Amino acid sequence: MSRRSGIVFVLICIFAVVSAEWVGGNPPDPYRAPDPMAFGSTSGASGAICTFAPGASQ
Amino acid sequence: MIVRTVLLTTLLLTLAVTAGVRFALLLGIGLAIGFALERFGFGFAGPWRRLIRERNGQGVMAQLLAIGLTALAIQPLIAYAPGSMLGAIAPISVSMVLAAFVFGLAMQLILGCGSGTLVNAGSGNVLAIVALPFFCIGSFIGTLWVPAAIEWTPHAVVSLPQSLGVPGSVFTTLGGLLLIGWGVSRFTDGPLWNKKLITAAVILAGLAVVHVLVAGQPWGVVYGLGLWVAKGAVSLGWDPSTAAFWTHPINASALTESILTDTTSLTSMGLLGGAAMAAWAGSRDVPLWPELKPWIFLMVIVAGLLLGISSRLAFGCNVGALFSGIASGSGHGWAWMLAGFLGSVLGVRLRDWLWIRAVREAG
Repeated sequence: MSRRSGIVFVLICIFAVVSAEWVGGNPPDPYRAPDPMAFGSTSGASGAICTFAPGASQ
Repeated sequence: MIVRTVLLTTLLLTLAVTAGVRFALLLGIGLAIGFALERFGFGFAGPWRRLIRERNGQGVMAQLLAIGLTALAIQPLIAYAPGSMLGAIAPISVSMVLAAFVFGLAMQLILGCGSGTLVNAGSGNVLAIVALPFFCIGSFIGTLWVPAAIEWTPHAVVSLPQSLGVPGSVFTTLGGLLLIGWGVSRFTDGPLWNKKLITAAVILAGLAVVHVLVAGQPWGVVYGLGLWVAKGAVSLGWDPSTAAFWTHPINASALTESILTDTTSLTSMGLLGGAAMAAWAGSRDVPLWPELKPWIFLMVIVAGLLLGISSRLAFGCNVGALFSGIASGSGHGWAWMLAGFLGSVLGVRLRDWLWIRAVREAG
């Protein structure tokens, strides 16, 4: 087996994760989509961030 | 080539229509970052290893260049639009420093950091493919532990833009990077700059700036990995209201929304896909299974778990904390760099010892 099998496996896993979540009841809603870019928009940052520290003063 | 372009365009257009243009752009940025990292061989764990073992500082100099260019652009941008954009600012604490040390050690064991594990997995590296799910599980475990860590140890936020103003912060950030670059240049044997890595650094900095413009926040990796496991746990009956981290409005919202609208999920999936595209052509001739003893996979699993847990407790991995933290002017990025590098010094020794045994026993 070559690394190509590994690549195909990873791509299938990504597809499976997204599909499972979609089928499980969390499809995205395009009518609630924020502005295309946060810069200059009123919708701001898209969500959580890695440096998020709940409880610590930010 | 044409088929891949058509498939990619269809994927991004479909995401733009079903979720929103911003999310398609974020996936596209992730794909571009993954492609660039794999194609140019740009990374974090590998260059630190080469500096420690071979006194080769080319990769580290490229990292410093990428961080410096990003800082130069994003600190004024974030200050210009404080309502819609935020930096990767996080607190410094004992637990944060210890976690960064452990991350630095673990990333040397599998030669994959936050971005590196994703890129390696995307390019079909079986060790990274084994490590990645445990990285995700570890990141989720870290979300359960981080509120206690914050409560039990003092956490102090050091934001250079807030303390020194944007010009002072940019000057201090670039000065710090130059100082480290000078130290690396003194330590390095041989040429200091590598054209390919400099090109990659400039591309990465450009993509990191575009990421801030689109997402409103700097590039990160590990949040999405923990989120995927949290969503899986909820579907299996886990109650997120029992975890302080997941009751915070931002995280509770991320749990109920689609991962196709989560910034770090999209860029992390993009990293996997981009690396897959870059590695596809040459992947047929490379064997999937390395000649190593099976017990090395147990070590990879432990390292994957450690990467996940430590990156959450350190408020980010080499991307969210080191790259984006320093570029944003966060003191915790500098603390992460120092502790992570010390962990890497130990990790390099440990990896050499383990790998020599694994190869010898396999042979």
